[in-house]
Amino acid sequence: MIAPPELLDVHRGPLLLAGIDDDPGLDAHRRRVGPLPDLALDRLLDAATAGAVRGRGGAGFPFARKLAAVADARGRRPSRRPVVVVNAAEGEPASAKDEALVRRAPHLVLDGAELAARALGAREVHVVTAQDRSAAGWAVDDALAERATRGLRWTRHTAEARFVAGQARAVLELMAGRPGLPVTGWAPAAHEGHRGRPTLLSNAESWAHLAAVVLHGPAAYAALGTADEPGTTLLTLATPPGPGGRMGRVRVVEAEHGAAAMTVLDPAALVSPLLVGGFHGGWVHPRDVPGLTVSSHHLRGLGLSLGAGAWLSLSDGSCPVTETARYTEFLADESAGRCGPCRHGLPALAGEVRGLAEGADTRRRVRELTGLVTGRGACAHPDGTARLVSSLLTRLEDLVEEHLDGRCGCAAPQRAPRAVAR
Amino acid sequence: MSRGGGDGQQLRVDWPQCRARGLCAELLPELVVLDEWGYPVVLGPVRPEHTDLAREAVAACPRRALRLVRR
Amino acid sequence: MTTPLLWYANRGTGVVLLVVFSLTVLLGVLATDRSVSPWWPRFVTQGLHRTLASLSVLLLVTHAATAVVDEFVDIRWWQAVVPVGATYEPVWMALAAVSLDLTALVVATSLARSRLPHRVWAAVHLTTYLAWAAGVVHGIGIGTDASTPWLAATTTVCVVAVVVAAAARLVVVVHTRRGRARATTPARGSGAQLFASGRRAAP
Repeated sequence: MIAPPELLDVHRGPLLLAGIDDDPGLDAHRRRVGPLPDLALDRLLDAATAGAVRGRGGAGFPFARKLAAVADARGRRPSRRPVVVVNAAEGEPASAKDEALVRRAPHLVLDGAELAARALGAREVHVVTAQDRSAAGWAVDDALAERATRGLRWTRHTAEARFVAGQARAVLELMAGRPGLPVTGWAPAAHEGHRGRPTLLSNAESWAHLAAVVLHGPAAYAALGTADEPGTTLLTLATPPGPGGRMGRVRVVEAEHGAAAMTVLDPAALVSPLLVGGFHGGWVHPRDVPGLTVSSHHLRGLGLSLGAGAWLSLSDGSCPVTETARYTEFLADESAGRCGPCRHGLPALAGEVRGLAEGADTRRRVRELTGLVTGRGACAHPDGTARLVSSLLTRLEDLVEEHLDGRCGCAAPQRAPRAVAR
Repeated sequence: MSRGGGDGQQLRVDWPQCRARGLCAELLPELVVLDEWGYPVVLGPVRPEHTDLAREAVAACPRRALRLVRR
Repeated sequence: MTTPLLWYANRGTGVVLLVVFSLTVLLGVLATDRSVSPWWPRFVTQGLHRTLASLSVLLLVTHAATAVVDEFVDIRWWQAVVPVGATYEPVWMALAAVSLDLTALVVATSLARSRLPHRVWAAVHLTTYLAWAAGVVHGIGIGTDASTPWLAATTTVCVVAVVVAAAARLVVVVHTRRGRARATTPARGSGAQLFASGRRAAP
C-alpha cells in the first residue's frame, strides 16, 4: 500500500505557480492574469501549437492535435456536442502536482477548460478529483462556485483512490456512472468518449498550460523554456515512502523546459538513483543524474519520458532493488483485476522482483514476465509496471549485481504492508 | 495502405471481457497462442490467407472478446 | 386443407425436435466446460451446438407451420406465438407459444450478439432452459403418441440428460461465484481524514 503525500511543499514558479502565495480566489486570479477572452477555435489551436502544449498526464500527446481531433469529430456530426474533461484524478501517489495546481491555482486550470469548451461549442465541463485528495476536491468546488457559468454546466466527480482510476477511459466510465476502471477503447475518446460524443479529456496541468499561453500570450510563454520546448513543466520531487506506505514530504516545483536537473534536485539526489516518471517510469543511474535536463526530448533519448513529472530520488540511501520490489507489489495490488495478463502477471512479476530483492537471481523469469504483460491489457498499467522493472535490470544492472552479491549494504528486505492502519 | 482483402487487419482482444476460454487459439494456432494463464497472445497481423479463420475466431469467442480491426 | 402427410409431418418434427433441442441444450451446457482435450477441440462442441440449434429452429418452424396449415385441427397462425386464446388444447398450446417466443428471442439476440452487451445476451440465452421445458411439457400434454413406450422412453432420456447437465452447471456456477467474490481489489480507502485541515503545509 502506498498513499499520496501528507505534506506538499509547493514552490513558487515563473508561470503556473506564479501566484501561489496569493489568494487562490477568482478576483486575485483575474487581477493577475486579466479577463478570460472568448477565442474562436482556430485561434485556440494556434495558441496550443505555439506553446507546444503536451499532455501532462503521462502520455505527452500534443494537445493541439487532440483539440483538432475533437473539433474534427464534432464537424462530422454537429448534433453531438463535444464534452470537456479536466482530469485531476492523480492516481500516482508519487505525484502531487495536479493537487498542488488545483489547490493553489484552480482558476488557471478551469480557465483552460473554459477556453476549450467555448471554442468547441461544448456545454458540459467535467472535473475529476480523487477521493484520497479531498482538499483538491474542495478547492475545485470553491473555485467553481466563484465562476459565472454563462451557459456551461460544470460537474465535479470523485474518483476512487486507486492507481488506475486516473486513466482516461476509467475516468469516462466513472462519468458514465459505472465503476471507474479502464475498459477497452475501440475508438479514441476524442472521437467517441462520454456518451459517444467527442470528448476532450486532458490532465489538469495541460489545461493550465493552455490557459497560460492564452492569458500571458505565446511570446511571454515562449520566453521560457527552449525553442523546441517552450514554457515550463511541473515536477513532483519525492523520496521513498515510509514504512507505513505513506509518501513523505514532497516538493512541487515548476521548471523551465531544458533546465538542468541540477537546478531542481538537491545535492543528495544528484548522486543517488532517480526514478523518472513515477511508478510507471524508469530508473536513472546515479552517474547519469547530474547530466539530466528537464526536457522530454532529452529524456526520450535516454528511453525515458517526462510523463507526469514525478521524480523519486533514493537520496535517503534506499536500495533500488528493494524499492522496486515494493513498488511492483503495490502496482500489482492496484490492478483493476479485470484483464487476465495483468491480474495474473503483475502479482507473479512482483513475486519474482521480491525474490530478486531477497537475493535470488530471478532475472530471466522477470524478463519473461515483463514481456508477457506488456501490451496485453485495457490500459497501460501492466506496460508501466513492466517498464519500471525492466529499467531496474537494464539501467541499474551494476547495482542489481551488487545487491545479489550482498555488497549493496541495504537493510533486511522490506515487505510492502498489505493493510494500512487508519 | 490496404492492398485488398485481409491486408492491414489486426486481431484485438477486449481484455476486460476475455475469460481465457481459448477457442481463438484452437481455431487459429498460427496466429494466437495461449500464455501460461490461458490468455491469448496475438503473434502478429492477420495475413490475407487467415482472414476467414480470423473471422471464425471472432464469431467463436463466447464472450465476444475478439475483434478484427483495421490496423 | 388437410392431409395425413401434414399430420405425420407435425408429429414427426415434434418428436425429432424434442431430441434435437435437448441435444442442443446439452451441448450448450457442455460448451461451458473449461477442460481441454487434444482429441475434442472446444470449437467443435460450440459448432455442433450452433448447428443443432439452427436445426432446432428449422424443425420448430416446420412443426408450427404444419400445425397451423393443417385444417384437421383448428390452430390459427397467431396462436403459435400468443399464449392465450387458443381453442384447441389451450394449455398445451400456451406452452407451445411460450416455447416458440422464447426461442425466437434467443435466436434474435444471438444473431445480434456483436451489438449487444454480453450480459444481455447471456441473460436471454438462459431462458432457453424455459423454452426447452415448455416444449417438453407441451409434447407430453398434447402429443397423441405420448403414451407409447418408445416416446415415453425417449422423453425420459432427454429430460434426465438435460436436468443432470443443468444441475452440474448450476453447481459450477455457484462455486465460481463464491470464488470470484474478491476479483477486483478494493480501492485505497476514503482517506478523507488524511487531509482534514485541507491547508497547504508550511515549509
